[in-house]
Amino acid sequence: MSVILDVRDMDGTVVVALQGEIDLQNSPELRKELLASLASRHDVVVDLARVDYIDSSGVASLIEGLQAARRSSLKFSLAAASAAVMRVLKLARLDEVFAIHASVDEATKGH
Amino acid sequence: MPEDAARRRSNSYHRQIDLIAEMSHEFTTSRDLGQALQRGLKRVTAFVEAEAASLFLIEEQTGELVCRACVGPVDITGLRLPAGHGVVGRVVRQNAVAIVKDARNDPDFGALVDRHSGLTTRSILCAPLSVRDQRLGAIELINKAGNGFFRPRDRQLLRALGASAALAISNARLTRAMVDQERVRRELELAAEIQRSMLPGRMPDNFPVSGLNRPAHEVSGDFFDILKLADGRIAFAVGDVSGKGINASLVMVKATSLFRCLAKTHRRPGLLLGAINRELCEAAAPGGMFVTMATGLLDPRTGVVLLANAGHEPSILHRDGVFTAFPADAPPLAIDRDLVAKTMPERRIELAGGALYLFTDGLPETRGDAGMVGAEGVCRLISRFASLPADRRLHSIIDELAPAGVSPRDDLTLLVAEDLRPKPILAEQFEVCPECLCGARHKVEAAALAAGCSKELAKDVVLAVGEACQNIFRHAYGGKGEVIMELRHYGDWLEVQLMDFAAPMDVGKIKPRSLDELRPGGLGTHFIRAVMDQVSYLPLPDGTGNLLTMRKAIR
Repeated sequence: MSVILDVRDMDGTVVVALQGEIDLQNSPELRKELLASLASRHDVVVDLARVDYIDSSGVASLIEGLQAARRSSLKFSLAAASAAVMRVLKLARLDEVFAIHASVDEATKGH
Repeated sequence: MPEDAARRRSNSYHRQIDLIAEMSHEFTTSRDLGQALQRGLKRVTAFVEAEAASLFLIEEQTGELVCRACVGPVDITGLRLPAGHGVVGRVVRQNAVAIVKDARNDPDFGALVDRHSGLTTRSILCAPLSVRDQRLGAIELINKAGNGFFRPRDRQLLRALGASAALAISNARLTRAMVDQERVRRELELAAEIQRSMLPGRMPDNFPVSGLNRPAHEVSGDFFDILKLADGRIAFAVGDVSGKGINASLVMVKATSLFRCLAKTHRRPGLLLGAINRELCEAAAPGGMFVTMATGLLDPRTGVVLLANAGHEPSILHRDGVFTAFPADAPPLAIDRDLVAKTMPERRIELAGGALYLFTDGLPETRGDAGMVGAEGVCRLISRFASLPADRRLHSIIDELAPAGVSPRDDLTLLVAEDLRPKPILAEQFEVCPECLCGARHKVEAAALAAGCSKELAKDVVLAVGEACQNIFRHAYGGKGEVIMELRHYGDWLEVQLMDFAAPMDVGKIKPRSLDELRPGGLGTHFIRAVMDQVSYLPLPDGTGNLLTMRKAIR
């Protein structure tokens, strides 16, 4: 099962919906997807609603996405993070670095 | 017979009886028998009116006759006559009194005494000193005054005195032997006490190594020792010196001292036995004595024992009801400097909840109703008492072989090293790789929930395990490699251990990085330290791998 559930365009913003557990096995795939979307000069929202685990390699892919977006002056935000994912982001003190929205809709509005 | 002559004889007879009685009394009550004999000899010489007298005793080792007391113009005390020499020799041999009227014509007369005493012997009266069949020596009187001859009543007097002096000498010798024996016994008791004080006492409850020694004699040739090292590991040893008694126990004391001293610097049992052997060989043990010894090093955190055995009884591992014997890997110590290599072979034994027993040959060689107990008999006893705590288990096994109050035929020494960690609630061995992380995490989560962790807590533990496995894959092996993962539940703690077999990790590399800079890598170690309460890295002995231990309070 791919960690990428769905990639869709919502009013010029690419919404990357993820699922399952993000770890060393699938974080390279996530990294590739995020960088590809940003390379096509689209803002990106990462929909984390169906993610119940993320490890440091997954977090590293998100950080790479954020850095790439900043370099291209694009928007990069996270949406609908579960408590488990928020716990990990807070442990890494990234909850204030990433723009984190309650839902995908809220996130796309902000873009 | 005229009345005067009769009275004189009667007086003289009474004086003789009085003299015998007095001297017998003095012989038996005097604190200094040598002086009493000297005084007695002087009085007899005067009473019998002899010119000189001497008392000769047989020297046990040589059979020579040695003068121990004398009266006369020259002191010949200490003079030695060859065994059987002269009239004295004959009297001893025949165990009968001799009266020699003319010494020059006696075939046994050997003028040796005359040469030293400065006298010219004419007549001799000589009585044996003997008690029952034991010949002790003889008393000799020389030259009756006024060129006369010794008379029958002189003979009776000397025989009576000889008998009482012999009894006193014999008693004194027996007493001295008893005093000597008592002194030796007290010294042996003292030696045994010192020896016992060198053995470790009862270990605290839940200490993973315990031992017990029951000596056959006052002193023992067996030994054991248990030593907690600064790094948390425990060194232990069991040994047996060939032979018994005080000399074996002295070599044992040396071997124990060497173990205690060298175990602190030689952190490998093979190196340790090599070093002890070289020290024992520096001063050769007397009489071809040798030492058999097995020594181990237990890490209570991993349950791993490194074991080396020089000529000693096989050590026995008892795990899950199965016995495995580990025989000696080298010849005994103290025979030859080069016989035990500097680094003799070692075995790495995973106790994994089991117990390793070291013992001396006294155990299997104990005689039961059906011959020797044997290694099988020792295993049966271990099985029978396996459920008891270590200290009671050792006592029960030894009591079976030598019931309390009965001194065993041979020294009995038994030691056990155990893995006292609780049984793991999860034990997995797998090849770490990105694809297997998910499955491993799910098993950890299920086990943590089963141990009573909350959902959030279980997720934290899962995160730590996931990150730790990832570190092993990425940093320890730099790819795939074997991992042993164990979860244990101790009271309020959940403990996770991950053991890999990669090169020792550089602890500097696994320090968490600062979170102030925004960069993708290096978060894993930070996560582990943030979610777990205790984290420790331990390189395995010999650089065979790494052990990561993480603990989390779950209540």
